[in-house]
Amino acid sequence: MSRAPIALTCGEPAGVGLEIAEKAWFALKDELPFFLIADPAHLPGSVPHKLLQSPLETVQIMADALPVLPHPFAAPRTPGTAQPENADGVIDVIAHAVDLAMSGEASAVCTLPIHKKALKDGADFPYPGHTEYLADLAGVDNVVMMLASEILRVVPTTIHIPLADVPTALTPGLLEETIRITAIGLETQFGINSPRIAVAGLNPHAGEGSAMGHEDATVIAPVLNKLRAEGFDIAGPLPADTMFHTAARARYDVAVCAYHDQALIPIKTLDFDGGVNVTLGLPFVRTSPDHGTAFDIAGTGKANPSSTIAALRMAARMVQSA
Amino acid sequence: MKPKIGIIPGDPSGIGPELIARLLTSEGVAEVADILLIGDRHVFEAGQTVADCSFDVVPVSDTASWTNTDCGFALYEMDTIQPEAVKTAEVTEAGGASVLSTLDQALAFAQDGTIDAIVFAPFNKASMHLAGLGHDDELHYIAEKLGVTGYISELNTLDGMWTSRVTSHIALRDVADTISEERVSQAVHLIHNVLRRSGVARPRISVAAINPHAGDGGNFGTEEIDILEPTVRKLAEGQMSVDGPWPSDTVFLKAVAKEIDAVVTMYHDQGQIALKLLGFDRGVTVQGGLPIPVSTPAHGTAFDIAGQGRADVGATRAAFDIACDMVTHWDNET
Repeated sequence: MSRAPIALTCGEPAGVGLEIAEKAWFALKDELPFFLIADPAHLPGSVPHKLLQSPLETVQIMADALPVLPHPFAAPRTPGTAQPENADGVIDVIAHAVDLAMSGEASAVCTLPIHKKALKDGADFPYPGHTEYLADLAGVDNVVMMLASEILRVVPTTIHIPLADVPTALTPGLLEETIRITAIGLETQFGINSPRIAVAGLNPHAGEGSAMGHEDATVIAPVLNKLRAEGFDIAGPLPADTMFHTAARARYDVAVCAYHDQALIPIKTLDFDGGVNVTLGLPFVRTSPDHGTAFDIAGTGKANPSSTIAALRMAARMVQSA
Repeated sequence: MKPKIGIIPGDPSGIGPELIARLLTSEGVAEVADILLIGDRHVFEAGQTVADCSFDVVPVSDTASWTNTDCGFALYEMDTIQPEAVKTAEVTEAGGASVLSTLDQALAFAQDGTIDAIVFAPFNKASMHLAGLGHDDELHYIAEKLGVTGYISELNTLDGMWTSRVTSHIALRDVADTISEERVSQAVHLIHNVLRRSGVARPRISVAAINPHAGDGGNFGTEEIDILEPTVRKLAEGQMSVDGPWPSDTVFLKAVAKEIDAVVTMYHDQGQIALKLLGFDRGVTVQGGLPIPVSTPAHGTAFDIAGQGRADVGATRAAFDIACDMVTHWDNET
């Protein structure tokens, strides 16, 4: 018996998500089964679609039409303009996808971009983003954001905060939790036993004996020593600037970084379109494209589906490895 | 007139001497410049032995009128280290002292017009400190020797993409407070001038943001709004092509795509991560803000492979080519 299909959530209908969903179906229709959860009236119609009663029908339909699990929204789609009136629909679609993943009817969840302000204005959405909402729905406290491409996996330990706040936010507890969730995620969702983890230093040259900042020696190194003593395969803290060239990348399965750009500079510079957002720590596989709603080009048909295609492929491979 | 390039072999314990042997036997090098080797004959010879290639030298007696001939490269012979004191792949005071002596001589030759530019093979900072460097790095040592009091900064370049950094070897915790309009402006002017002097008529410069997503409109930090945006606006009102601040996870792609020539970065790892992953062995360092061109491969003495003949000459060749370009274009108005 074949595996369950992947659930793709529509995200903000006014953004580029639905256009990308149609393009992704065209690219993947003979490769892997997924279904879109959306309001059928919102579909741009560049490809045929067929409505599902149940995700189980996805596999038969996939080759001929985009499988759509219908979820009615309050208002029609207005590309390029945030629609707070559709906020409840956007939020419910995500919850619907999580239900299907928890019940096994979907093998994974891939999410198209949401517009946080529209959700806040329309439904008092209390979460900073998708990830925190998914964690809440799944009943987990801590999750980890990983960016993954064919050639590199990176985890930023701190994410959307000012650079000036990073040294204070990078606590031993956060780093330890991040490394633990990352290691478990690589084992259970990527099929990598005893993953090799490289941890970047916070300061230039990893502090060079505390000549340039003490945190590498006083915060990071003790956490790594503790985890090593438990049997984790960890290198670091390593100078971040020499971690990402070809020979260095061959030495680890994931690079755990101190801050957003330390992780994002290497993955985007190496492979701009291939980087996929993966959430580790959830009881199901979740990926997403690494871009936003792109209101400036919504409705023009110009949106590039490659990151979503990569996200769906990554989800399928993770499901196989699990 | 060909550029007159002074070359010193770097730390004799590292891969420097073998790199110089490979450089001088590379295609085209002898044709494009007159080269004055400055240092110990036995050090240059040891490099040839390791690299398994050879070149001829002609000792220079009168440094006022020297040139390269078919007989070989000019050699200003020095006695800075005994052959038995050269310890391959070791940090030694003698190695550091040799570096400082040859560097001092090269700087003296640059000041009196004997040479137009200096290319040096890798130094070892630990050895130099043992020998009394007395500064954080060679750039500050050179600046003092040359009496430079203005803004100086190390620039890095790879395949036509240049970066400089507003802060360098400081704790990440101190970066945000160190960024100021004055420092950013100085960094932009410096890289503009160096690019003009390396032959780029109208350098296109982008300034990297400090915070993720360039601060996301102030949600993840306000330095972009408070400092970087007004500074860049002011700079762009002048003659320079400068824009930003750009999110640093995508700004280097603009340079890779040749849409821009240079990225002014805010902190050490921001630019170094991008440059080193794009070309770990090929990057060049240019010492910016000096009255003469000084360039060197960005990599170090590579003690792990020193003396084995495996060192790649790519970055050294690039450093040599940039020095030649900078001599040619040095008088470009900045």
